[in-house]
Amino acid sequence: MIAIREIIAVIMIVIGLLFLVISAVGMLRLPDFYSRLHASGNSETLGMMLTLLGFVIYEGANLISFKLIFIFMFVFIGNPIGTHILSKAAYKTGEPVWTNKNNEENKEGGSN
Amino acid sequence: MNVKYYFKLVAIMMIFWILLSGRFEVKFLIYGTFTSLIAGYICMPLLMLKSADGKNEYFALGFSIFRLAVYCLWIFWQLITSNFALAKVIVSPELAIDPQVIRFKVNMDNPMALTVLANSITLTPGTVTMNVTDDGVYEIHALTDDAAEGIRAGDMQRHVARLFGQDENFIMIDDEKGAAV
Repeated sequence: MIAIREIIAVIMIVIGLLFLVISAVGMLRLPDFYSRLHASGNSETLGMMLTLLGFVIYEGANLISFKLIFIFMFVFIGNPIGTHILSKAAYKTGEPVWTNKNNEENKEGGSN
Repeated sequence: MNVKYYFKLVAIMMIFWILLSGRFEVKFLIYGTFTSLIAGYICMPLLMLKSADGKNEYFALGFSIFRLAVYCLWIFWQLITSNFALAKVIVSPELAIDPQVIRFKVNMDNPMALTVLANSITLTPGTVTMNVTDDGVYEIHALTDDAAEGIRAGDMQRHVARLFGQDENFIMIDDEKGAAV
């Protein structure tokens, strides 16, 4: 009985870690600042969610689980605020937005 | 001060106290009640938010718990599906992205609704809120075409407006697709 719960918890945590790895891959592959924000800010949310859910299943229904859910709720509220402030700062200082169109123009013009 | 809002705030703080302390003896419950009453009294003026034109005043937590639960379930589902879509785009070899900036204007004047909408859009993978003006113009950076279509369809705007009981209409301000800032 306990073993089954532990197996489910481990599967959850591993999938969560997989999402965190994907967000790191996105950080390296995507072209500009704004796209990288998508990878860092957002894929992390589901990674965090699944990892904490794994902990909650491992703990069972007690006060520690409630506190873990609270941590998750604050990440849920706080994570988008951080992402938004970073993108707003970049926007106000005039960071150019990478698009497929201006990327091709850059290639043709030979200037990078 | 609105008594109904005050007791709602006190009740939320009380639940928070019980969950974090984890003790149910009478002594601790009495401590919690008094702390909630005093902290609620001090916090009330901070939670009354004025709209941008200063005409209306809203309570920050002035939405029904039931609607909040419906909204949370919906946003969870949205979060999971679009997160899988984004992960697929990131690891696929051809990297099929089409970053673009889209703009729309909403008619809501509750500052909390504007905040929740901006936060929800950023929370959903594939879209990030870049800027929000006082009169409700949103500038969104979308990573893929699918994410941009999701914003154009307007499900998010409608759900947030319903949560706060605000005007559901919004206008797309579509300039040239993918125009640089």
